Amino acid sequence: MTSTAAVPTYQADIYTDEALLEPYEHYRALRDLGPAVWLEAHGAFAVARYADARAVLANTEDFHSANGIALNEPANSAILGCTLASDGELHAHLRQVVAHRLTPRSLRPMRETVTARADELVAGLVERGSFDAVADLARALPLSIVPDFIGWPQEGREHLLRWAGANFDSFGPMNARAERALPQCGEMAGFGAEIVRTGNVLPGSLGASVLESRDRGDITTEQTMMLMLDYLAPSLDTTISAVGSAIWLFGRFPEQWDLVRRDPGLIPNAVNEVVRYESPIRAFGRLAVHDTEIDGVPVPAGSRVLVVYAAANRDERKFPDPDVFDVTRADAVQQLGFGYGEHGCAGQALARMETESLLAALARSVTRFELGEPERALNNLIRALGSLPVTVHTGA
Amino acid sequence: MQISVDYARCEGHGLCEDQAPDVFTLDDEGDLHYRFEGQDVPAEHAVAAGRGAASCPVAALKVVP
Repeated sequence: MTSTAAVPTYQADIYTDEALLEPYEHYRALRDLGPAVWLEAHGAFAVARYADARAVLANTEDFHSANGIALNEPANSAILGCTLASDGELHAHLRQVVAHRLTPRSLRPMRETVTARADELVAGLVERGSFDAVADLARALPLSIVPDFIGWPQEGREHLLRWAGANFDSFGPMNARAERALPQCGEMAGFGAEIVRTGNVLPGSLGASVLESRDRGDITTEQTMMLMLDYLAPSLDTTISAVGSAIWLFGRFPEQWDLVRRDPGLIPNAVNEVVRYESPIRAFGRLAVHDTEIDGVPVPAGSRVLVVYAAANRDERKFPDPDVFDVTRADAVQQLGFGYGEHGCAGQALARMETESLLAALARSVTRFELGEPERALNNLIRALGSLPVTVHTGA
Repeated sequence: MQISVDYARCEGHGLCEDQAPDVFTLDDEGDLHYRFEGQDVPAEHAVAAGRGAASCPVAALKVVP
């Protein structure tokens, strides 16, 4: 596919180390160029403005997820038919198998456990005083909740973070990061297949209910293998990113932390603002299946379309002063960090519960976060810190 | 202005209720109840209702102008 003269184009590779470290000027340039911008380096249209990104996500007639999620064919083939990479009735059917276990109502019995673990974790860290906000806080809670919830056996858990990260790296263009990732995605798929074969999941877990759906004939064995990974892979790095970014932001903007401490009722909105400001998932792709247009820019059938959540969430056309972190922002809830529409993140209630619980526990005792030198973990899809040394203060 | 509700798609995330508790409520079963089903949203509730609809993460709520 080549671009036409009428289509704005952008030359830069937005997946280099430098671009992953400092993406926001690229995003601004993309927004300013137009509603859809042809990325020369990646052979895809970038949709970086909020209104257009939301419209593309809502338009599942013209923009499909099957063969569209990743920027490379091997990854799109590997995930074809999972919930993330399916459309229409198949997608609705697969989502239904799992999503009902992830609604806020279904998760209500979990709240006590999540809150208790968060309180315990934070109490221990506050006593230590200095710790790594990523390894000791952001990773610790999801890893103590999610694998049990999904029912993943104890053996193999040591690989989960590596596998999940590889999964997201594989969705980028076929750069060195994606090449390194694909064999590891294969390992993860193999492990998922083994679990389905042996039925080795914790009783009463989400995984167990997926196996029951298979036994009832609701889904095929192959779909069962997909579903085992569908919700595990995205449930760790994303939440870890949000919690790490939250501490980094509240360390840099202590007056925002004061607002949260004064009014813990702001915490749900603060989580939305963290996800808006530092979107854990930078972008997901779609495949244009008909000749169509995005806000006047012609998009031929067969085009890849990259919906850049992280750019849309900083769009000044939608959010006033988008580069200001403001936990009282009125429309933070409309951020696109969890996606939107049919494919909107099914696990967001659990992600919100985990992040809110940690912030609530911290707000009860921590008055200031004194940050050390953060280090970014570079990934094609996930924006996250790899480590963040922090010392917490509890006095006035 | 009306709001169309796709009850089959609603997953009970409850963000609409946070934004507009006088317009959208979730019952104990997590099922959504919309106060102005099939009618125009009264002017005094329009802003909140619009905000509630815009906050739906799965596009189960849509504003019909």
